[in-house]
Amino acid sequence: MSIDEASVDTDHRTPVYQFDRHAPDYRDRFSEITTEMHSKCPVAWSDTHGGHWVAAGSEAVFTLARSANISNDHDIKGVRRGYKGIMIPTAVRASGVRGGILEMDDPEHREFRAVLNPYLSPAAVKKWVPLIDEVIRACLDEKIETGSIDFIDDMVNIVPAVITLAMLGIPVAKWNVYCEPVHAAMYTPPDSPDVHRVAELHRLMGMDLLASLHEIRENPRPGMVDAVARATIDGETPDDLELLGVLSLLIGGGFDTTTALTSHALEWLSQNPDQREILSAERDTLLDSATEEFLRFYCPSAGDGRTFSADTQLDGVEFKEGERIWLSWAMANRDPELFTDPNEIDLERKGNRHFSFGLGVHRCIGSNLARTMFKRMLLAVLDRMPDYRCDPEGTVHYESIGVIQGMRQLPATFTPGPRLGDGLDETLDRIQKIVDEQGIAAPVTAQK
Amino acid sequence: MKVEVDPHRCQGHTLCAMAAPTLFELSDIDGHATAVDTEVPAELAESAREAHRSCPEQAISVL
Repeated sequence: MSIDEASVDTDHRTPVYQFDRHAPDYRDRFSEITTEMHSKCPVAWSDTHGGHWVAAGSEAVFTLARSANISNDHDIKGVRRGYKGIMIPTAVRASGVRGGILEMDDPEHREFRAVLNPYLSPAAVKKWVPLIDEVIRACLDEKIETGSIDFIDDMVNIVPAVITLAMLGIPVAKWNVYCEPVHAAMYTPPDSPDVHRVAELHRLMGMDLLASLHEIRENPRPGMVDAVARATIDGETPDDLELLGVLSLLIGGGFDTTTALTSHALEWLSQNPDQREILSAERDTLLDSATEEFLRFYCPSAGDGRTFSADTQLDGVEFKEGERIWLSWAMANRDPELFTDPNEIDLERKGNRHFSFGLGVHRCIGSNLARTMFKRMLLAVLDRMPDYRCDPEGTVHYESIGVIQGMRQLPATFTPGPRLGDGLDETLDRIQKIVDEQGIAAPVTAQK
Repeated sequence: MKVEVDPHRCQGHTLCAMAAPTLFELSDIDGHATAVDTEVPAELAESAREAHRSCPEQAISVL
C-alpha cells in the first residue's frame, strides 16, 4: 500500500504526546511519562517512528487489544493491505520474515495456535517440571560451592533456553547457539550501530532453525518443530519462511521474557530481604500472587504494535484505517484507575488483572511455561541461597527497554553450600536422553 | 452465588484457577476455563469474587 502523505487527513490526530520508548532516557523517565499520559492523555498520537498512536490507559488498552478493528498482520509480501505487524518501528531483522502467530490475524492465527496449544497448556507444561528442576539444580550446583553467581549467565538465561529447545525438539546442547542472538536482539536499540551484527547473529540462528526443521521433517521426533512441519493452514502447507517465523517467535518469546522477569524479581528480593523472608516462609499462599505482582510491575514485554483495520472511535478519539497503534502493557499495568498504589510492589495484591501476557486472542501462548519456570527458579534460589545479595555495581540493566525490560548481568554473593548432583553438561546429556526416550516433547493430546 | 465463564472472552490466562482452584477447571488442550459448577458454596464466595476481579479478560461473572 502506498500512501501519499500530502493527501492523508491528519486533523483527527489529537491529543499529541511525543512518545519514544527507544529513547536513551526512557528507562529512567518511565514512571514520569506513564503518570503524565494517564493524567493527560491515556490515548495520544505521537509523530515518532513514522507516526503512531499510543495507548497507555488500562481501559483503552483493554478495549483496543480486544477490538475487532485491530490487526496484528504483517503483510511482508504486500499481498493484503500492507500492514506492518507488531514492531514499531519495524525491526531490521523482521523485515523479511513474519513474526509468527503474533503477526497473524484469525483465522490463520487460530489454526496455528491450535497446533501449538497442546504443547504449552497448563497440563502440557506440568510434565516438564521435574526436568526444569533438574536444569535449575545443575545450574546452581555449578556455583553453590563458590559463594558467588551471576544469576543471568549462570541460571536465568540457561533454564528457559534449554527447556524451550527441548520442547521444540532441538538438541538442548545447542542452547548457547540460540541464547545470545535472542537476548542481543532485545537489548539493542533500533538505531544502534550494533544492529547489523545482531541481525547477522539472528540470521545464523535462523539457519540452524531451518536446518532443524528440514531434519525433523526427514526424521520426525516429537516437539513443536514437528508440529509446525506437519501443519496445514487453510488446507495448505505454509512455506518454510513462514514456519521459521513461527518457530523464531517461540524462541524469542520463550527466552528473554522469562529471563527478564526472574532477574528483576531476584534483584528486588535482594533489596527487600524482609519481603524475601516472608515470601519464602509463606510460599504456599504468597507465591502465586507474588508472581503476578512481579509480572505486573516488571512487565517483561513492554507492549505490542497493531494496525487499525477499520475506522474506529474510542472516548472521542478517532482512529483511521491503516494507522498504527502501540498498546503499552507496561503503562496499563501502572494505571491508578485499576491498581491501588500502582508504583508499589505488593506481594499480596488482589484483583491483579495485569496486562503482561497481552489481552485477547493473542494472549502469550507461553504464559504457563513462563510462570512455571519463574516459580521453580525463584524457589530453588530461596532454598539454596537464602541469604544471597545482589551486587548493584555489577548489575547491568538493558539500556533500552523499548521491547523487553531485561537485564544483562546480575552478580550476587551468598553463603556457600553443598552440591546436590552433577554439573550442567552431564545433566543436559541426561535430560536429552530422557526427552528422547520418554517422548516428553509430544503434545498433551498424544498421551491420552 | 453463581459463577460463569464466558467462553468467548476467556483466553486461558488461568488466574481464576489460581484464585479458586476448586471452582474452575482448565482445559488440558488450551488452558481455557470453565466453571466446575455454577453454584458457589458460601465458603468460596470470596474466592469467586477474586477470580472475577483478577480475570484479565473480564470473562467471569458472579451473580
